[in-house]
Amino acid sequence: MNMLNVLLIENDLDNTLLENSLKDYGFRYLKSKYSPAFLALTKEITPDIIIFNLDTPSKKLLTDLQTLNQQSPIPVIMFAGDSNIDTINQAIKAEVSAFIVDSVEHNRINSIINVAIARFKHQQSLNNALEEARAKLEDRKQIDRAKAILIKTQNFTEDDAYHTLRKLAMDRNITLGEMAKNVIAMSELFK
Amino acid sequence: MPQLSLKAMKTFIKVTEIWVPDKERTQLEFGSGLYGGLIDFKAASEQQLFAYNEGLPGKAWAAGHPIVLTKFEHSYFKRTAAAKKAGLTCGIAIPVFSGDFLMAVVVFLCGDDEDHAGAIEVWRNNPLSENSLNVMDGYYGTLQHFEAISRQISMPKGQGLAGLAWETGLPVLVNDISKADTFIRASDAQQAGISMGIGIPVSDNPGHSYVMTFLSAKATPLAKRIQIWIPDQHGKQLICQQGYSKNSNDLAEIFETITVNKGVGALGRVWLTGMPVITGNHEPDYNPELDNLSSMLAIPVIKNGRLKAIVSFLF
Repeated sequence: MNMLNVLLIENDLDNTLLENSLKDYGFRYLKSKYSPAFLALTKEITPDIIIFNLDTPSKKLLTDLQTLNQQSPIPVIMFAGDSNIDTINQAIKAEVSAFIVDSVEHNRINSIINVAIARFKHQQSLNNALEEARAKLEDRKQIDRAKAILIKTQNFTEDDAYHTLRKLAMDRNITLGEMAKNVIAMSELFK
Repeated sequence: MPQLSLKAMKTFIKVTEIWVPDKERTQLEFGSGLYGGLIDFKAASEQQLFAYNEGLPGKAWAAGHPIVLTKFEHSYFKRTAAAKKAGLTCGIAIPVFSGDFLMAVVVFLCGDDEDHAGAIEVWRNNPLSENSLNVMDGYYGTLQHFEAISRQISMPKGQGLAGLAWETGLPVLVNDISKADTFIRASDAQQAGISMGIGIPVSDNPGHSYVMTFLSAKATPLAKRIQIWIPDQHGKQLICQQGYSKNSNDLAEIFETITVNKGVGALGRVWLTGMPVITGNHEPDYNPELDNLSSMLAIPVIKNGRLKAIVSFLF
């Protein structure tokens, strides 16, 4: 029994090809049609992966996927009949892990799911690294700004400013970045 | 550094407002305010106007001296329903005059916090005795005994917090009142849990002297930090004479070594215009428990049309 929970969204609920494939590979699944309650449903059942089997993903659906990606990202596989480049771009923008046109090769579904999950994890780690780098850069900017404030108001050298900032941060048991924000906030009060 | 308890840094002033004369200078309009998380009350306040002698700010304007209003229900207070919803129960309005002309009215609004120990008083010179002050009005929260004592005392000029502020014409801050020789009510303050006091002269028309005193306990400080800025000996720059907070604040101390030129920065603007200012803001994500200082109220102390000092309250 495969322990992954799958949310299967299909236009045609009578089409059981994909559903049977999932059954064959031992996935647990819930099948539904796309509706305005999609995000609420996802939040409620917390699937490990979502598979769409549609003709064309609507704008609303793609918007929902973007929202889902911001709030609680999970791997998404999309089988679609639409090979329009705009649709594909929007799906990629919504960080769909796999977009497959005009094919539901049910004997490949297990591999497709595994690849999608691996791709999703890789994308997530890239996103996290990017976020970390952004935060470090922002911290750096704040620290430089705080140092400049101390240099200007206290006639410190750059070294003195840095050491003062560091000591203030250590005394408060907070990061240098957070202390820099405090210095900037304090300086703003007197502007 | 030990973690501050959640209670420790709650300030008993919940709302601070500056009301300013409108373009025609015949009524007061909203200038700026600090509302913490009280967004609804803020919305109810920003569109308000007060005519001369109307509402709390208008009454202070007409009276020419600070007013303490300890009960909003069935009073002239205009925002009673909104204040009740926000848990605000007491208001103090301090008019800032230059001579006969109003610059602004500063309003403080407090909530009846069970844990609050503090007092806000308005002292006035006794018409029967040239050299003493008496409590004209005050807000004492739960400190009934301290209130009873305070209302009976006559404060000689040069003695006590109010008397010293009156004599010098300058704000006076005492950071441990219960031990201060100059504080007449030291033992009563100790019993009441009051630790800090600041006296601010607020009006000095001939024959009429008024001094505000703010007394607070360690658990509910008046503000996170209070500073007194005065012109240097040449009158060319402002320097920080004193800075006080319940816990030491080396960041604030660093900024208190700066000198302020007229017209430069917030304090410089107060000096240039004679108007109180509010800077910083702490809107939806306001957290009163945080140690950092995120907003400031600066009030000028004016005598004979000249700036004597600026008192800044940092929240």
